[in-house]
Amino acid sequence: MRLANFAAAIVFSVAILYVSFVGAGPLPALGPAFNPGTGAWTMAFDASIGRETQHLTGLQQPVRITLDRDGTAHIVAQTDHDLFLAVGYVHARFRLFQMDLLRRQGEGRLSEVVGKKALDSDRFELQLGLLRTAEQEWNGRPGPSERARMAILAYTQGVNDRIAQAEFLHQLPAMFTLLGYQPKPWTPIDSLIVKGDMTQTLNFTDTPLVMALLERSLGPDLVSKWFPVLPPNPQSPYDPGPYPARPTVAALPAPQISGAEAVAAADAYQRLASLPAGLVATGGASNNWAVAGTRSASGGALLAGDPHLHLTLPAIWYQLTMDSPSYHVAGVSIPGTPVVLIGHNQHIAWSLTDAQNQQTFYYSEVEDAAHPGQYSWNGSWRRYDTASYDIPVRGGPTERLTVKLSVHGPVITERGQTTTVWWAGNIPSQDLDVLLGVDQASDWQQFRDTLRGWYSPTHNFVYSDDKGNIGMISAGYYPHVKSGRPWLPMPGTGEDDVDGTIPYDDIPQVYNPPEGIIWSANQRQVTADYPWYIGTASNFFDPGYRANEIHRVLSQGGKLSAADMMALQTDTRDYLASEMVPILLTVMPASPARDLLAGWDYRMETGSAAATIWWAFWQTYIAQAFDPWWKAKTVPVDRSEMNDSLGQYLESQVMAGSTVCPPEGCSPSAICPTEECSRFPLNVALDKAIRSTLDTLAKSLGADPKTWTWGRVHQRTLQNLAKITGLDYGPRPDRGDANTPLAAPDFPSSHGPSWRMVVDWGSGTFMGIYPGGQSENPASQWYTDRVDTWWDGRYAPMLTADQAASAPGATSWKLQP
Amino acid sequence: MTGGRIFTIALIVTSVIGAIGIFVGGWWIVFLIGLAVGIVLPARAALILGALFGLATYLEPLLRDHLIYGLGPTATSLAAIMGYPHQPAIPIVLTCALGLLLGLAGAWLGSAGRAFFQPASSR
Repeated sequence: MRLANFAAAIVFSVAILYVSFVGAGPLPALGPAFNPGTGAWTMAFDASIGRETQHLTGLQQPVRITLDRDGTAHIVAQTDHDLFLAVGYVHARFRLFQMDLLRRQGEGRLSEVVGKKALDSDRFELQLGLLRTAEQEWNGRPGPSERARMAILAYTQGVNDRIAQAEFLHQLPAMFTLLGYQPKPWTPIDSLIVKGDMTQTLNFTDTPLVMALLERSLGPDLVSKWFPVLPPNPQSPYDPGPYPARPTVAALPAPQISGAEAVAAADAYQRLASLPAGLVATGGASNNWAVAGTRSASGGALLAGDPHLHLTLPAIWYQLTMDSPSYHVAGVSIPGTPVVLIGHNQHIAWSLTDAQNQQTFYYSEVEDAAHPGQYSWNGSWRRYDTASYDIPVRGGPTERLTVKLSVHGPVITERGQTTTVWWAGNIPSQDLDVLLGVDQASDWQQFRDTLRGWYSPTHNFVYSDDKGNIGMISAGYYPHVKSGRPWLPMPGTGEDDVDGTIPYDDIPQVYNPPEGIIWSANQRQVTADYPWYIGTASNFFDPGYRANEIHRVLSQGGKLSAADMMALQTDTRDYLASEMVPILLTVMPASPARDLLAGWDYRMETGSAAATIWWAFWQTYIAQAFDPWWKAKTVPVDRSEMNDSLGQYLESQVMAGSTVCPPEGCSPSAICPTEECSRFPLNVALDKAIRSTLDTLAKSLGADPKTWTWGRVHQRTLQNLAKITGLDYGPRPDRGDANTPLAAPDFPSSHGPSWRMVVDWGSGTFMGIYPGGQSENPASQWYTDRVDTWWDGRYAPMLTADQAASAPGATSWKLQP
Repeated sequence: MTGGRIFTIALIVTSVIGAIGIFVGGWWIVFLIGLAVGIVLPARAALILGALFGLATYLEPLLRDHLIYGLGPTATSLAAIMGYPHQPAIPIVLTCALGLLLGLAGAWLGSAGRAFFQPASSR
């Protein structure tokens, strides 16, 4: 009996201690995680913000930080060094787990904390090479400027001050406790990696692989028609020229994609498609524009910017103001980096959109059995370089990864044909130093000169200043390929290599244009007369509907105000609908659905049933036009992935009075694929699509079209960064679609305006808002406190440090050496 | 002193020691104290005390934090992280249960071990 009792006690104790020390199944180690003194419960303390005095290692002078009511941090430092140290401290105080995730993603170390489910991502990242590039940027020659080196080192010190403090006080963010690990010290490389993450998200593409698969299946004729270099529709380029003269390179005969190249493309494409969202850029959606003082009601220049990104909680942005002897800047920063990326200083304001030019190229390396481990380049055989990495895997053995590198870049697949990728994000650059220069610039000349050093991702930097001037420059690296068809994988023999960049003076840019307005929305920035290749319509410029709508509104005449800027940022008018619906109405018989469309203002509002009919119709029409081709040609690319390009083509055809020819042809006239079907078949196609649309909607939403409101089918979600759905915001019905200035693609949408900023230099108006909150702590009032303001299309004033200090609800911290 | 008073004093003392332990990260100290309690006290008293002081040790910081900061958002967030959104009671119950079970396990093991190793004549 005593033995049995003792044995039972041992078993019970071991079980309790096991789940406490180790965890069980999905449960973390319960002991440290749920220790009420130092475990995850400390998020309650962390969420409580009051007056504080902190002593930080490395600080030179006292620093004052004011946290205003919504958590915006206003940092006033007496030295530049202390400013960056304080930024690092504040970032880590509110976003340490996010920062750790960002660096782990780029460094291929996610598996170490979440297990083998992140192995594909880690392998890919280490292959792609963000870590190698960051190390070269920091350790290479010439390396960072003194300004950047000081800023990054001070920032690193500030982050590490907070990590040490949090560990000592048992105040690490709860997610560390729950995942059972502690953050390693921050390093300068980590900051460069975080910047690299953003570059990758915005411009690492698989488009040449997709184009290869399309060309192999559809053939070159259809591909050149449906996925042309120049867009088939007008896109309101902001830089209409004139452009510098340059001999145009004659078009080369198009070689067929070989079977081996197709196998390689399919393998790499499938691999990239299976990666978590965000690692491969899939398109852009951001807006910015400026209005000259001559066109504004206040007499000062106006600027508006809303970069569209994956909307997460916490957000990618952290809002702050930075004041020191050399810096007086306000705006949003990315946790992990010491700079304001979008904002204003005392004299200028700026924002950015992705420029979308092609920065990713694939090369098919030439190998043969007589030269194992080598590839042919410029007439000689070269051995691949290699880089090896250990990938620690939680709950499993460490994986060894060896990456092969040619002169073009890392090998991305060896199936079919060895394929490497050349990516501008892998060129060591000093982009953080450029941003420090932007933060300090005081006029267009300084702004433009500073951006000369910007490499990647290429951005449309919009500019306005306190003297009424406006400008835009699409700064970045524009790879120039010696010959060949860069939108497809190219031979790696050397003839088709990237041999430089388009000269800075020749890249798209304007300053004080005569019409007094500038705009960008990821559209192609230049007209067909531009002499340089910058990418195809599908790689991956926006279809241009947002740009067209913004241009339409800004060019209507009359004086514009900050309120007009805000209204346009939250505008839901679908430009494509305004073109297509009037044509559709000509074939629709009288019906309640037709009445709804006829009375519609083309705005994708949650209460609009016409919005639902329009959107469903357009998707149906694209599907009916192209799915027969996809089936007939066995196209291995998801058709919906190509909807932007296919939609542009279809739009151009409908505007011209024709429709896409089906594979069997439009008897008796059209011969596919060279001709399209003219007027009468267009009517038939539109009629078929709208009938099918109305049938489908009736089945899914009920018989009464008035009830088919957009909010019933279109919702938006702000996703928790750690993919904990219980910490998401939404899904909640929301307005907009992929084509509206207030962008809301997908169902539910998790992409859109990540920060809205409006500046009016004439009235001294500086307003901004992002969805989310300043804290990553879900128990904090600053986790989602800004969401409703953002959702409603309202803004918050961007206060100065002095204004914030005297504002109600502000809290002050003192940082002491 | 009566047995009840001794029990109360023991409960307070063990809870205070336990609380100090968990505030420096030593969540396992509850088990060790339970073990000592099990060795020292008679079996029935040890088990009751072990469970009660374990519960009290884990509950006290939660009550304190609730009074100062309000634990609602934290409990709701933890429940969401655990996959039970809008059920904030779950992490609270789990935490209290953990304290209770650690104290109880220690006391049981101490008591059973003492009974097992103690010579029969001394019982």
